[in-house]
Amino acid sequence: MASASSASHNNSSNNAGTNSNTESNENEDSAQANFECNICLDTAKDAVVSFCGHLFCWPCLHTWLETRPNNKVCPVCKAAISRDKVIPLYGRGCANQDPREKTPPRPSGIRSEPENQGPFQNFWGDNFQVSFGIGAFPFGYFSTNFGTNHGADQQRPQTEQEQNERFLSEVFFMVVLISFFFLMLA
Amino acid sequence: MSNTMEKRLQKELMKLVSEPPAGVTFDSESADSKLTLWKVKVVGAKDTLYDGESFILQFKFTPKYPFESPQVIFIGPNIPVHPHIYSNGHICLSILTDDWSPALSVQAVCLSIVSMLSSCKKKVRPPDNVVYVSTCSKNPKKTNWYYHDDSQS
Ligand SMILES: [Zn+2]
Ligand SMILES: [Zn+2]
Repeated sequence: MASASSASHNNSSNNAGTNSNTESNENEDSAQANFECNICLDTAKDAVVSFCGHLFCWPCLHTWLETRPNNKVCPVCKAAISRDKVIPLYGRGCANQDPREKTPPRPSGIRSEPENQGPFQNFWGDNFQVSFGIGAFPFGYFSTNFGTNHGADQQRPQTEQEQNERFLSEVFFMVVLISFFFLMLA
Repeated sequence: MSNTMEKRLQKELMKLVSEPPAGVTFDSESADSKLTLWKVKVVGAKDTLYDGESFILQFKFTPKYPFESPQVIFIGPNIPVHPHIYSNGHICLSILTDDWSPALSVQAVCLSIVSMLSSCKKKVRPPDNVVYVSTCSKNPKKTNWYYHDDSQS
């Protein structure tokens, strides 16, 4: 039914220990944690940093981007992220090879959004999914509000299925409109 | 891939055992040898409706963890009575499906659930509890959850 909004997932702040011994340990820990990948929690290998400043191993981030190809967001702060929105980091003595070259980009699956989303988009706004049914005259339609008020502060990008559905219903609506138009002419 | 999973779970386990957050206790014995099934005890926070009650959360991980969210349900005799928790232990919480991120962790999920309990104002089951429980899949991740804002319910 409903979601509690997600708790902050940046639990990195740790309470400083009271005696000097634990304190130095924790300093060491947090110094190391600064260079840990936000996904595998290990020291970042083939490190890349996103424009939003979050550090990852390139293989880790690459896997995440492939997991949700239609919803590429930074795992930490949910900023938009992509292959071209990360900067490889080269430490001293590291081979200067761009880690992004090593993991070959997937052969297919590069898909850019159409610039112009069509006239219906503006009419119903971005957050409506429209589906149509024929049967009753003229044609019943339902419009459902999807996900604006979801997770409180951020708008959920659409899943592939929703996009497909929306695309289908737009195509369908066009077809119905056109046939209706012909009916009117006849 | 599954190597990432094992290493990460190992790290999370050590952290959870050595520095458990308030209200969360984890007995590493309860995890199976491959670390794919964990049982975590959470205790209702002081001065909330669940003060003093304790519950068991079960985490199931697939080899795709942390890229895929864990399956999280309440198990055992005591399932919290809460507007977003079904009597079969399923939890309606967006970070468990759509809003999952690999930067989240067992600890983050536990804290999220504790805070979900803490913010509860009335102990009731979700309005569609009976229907849901009799029709849902065993795996809550197969449910098409419809999330809406907490502040409105
Ligand atoms: Zn990594
Ligand atoms: Zn970020």
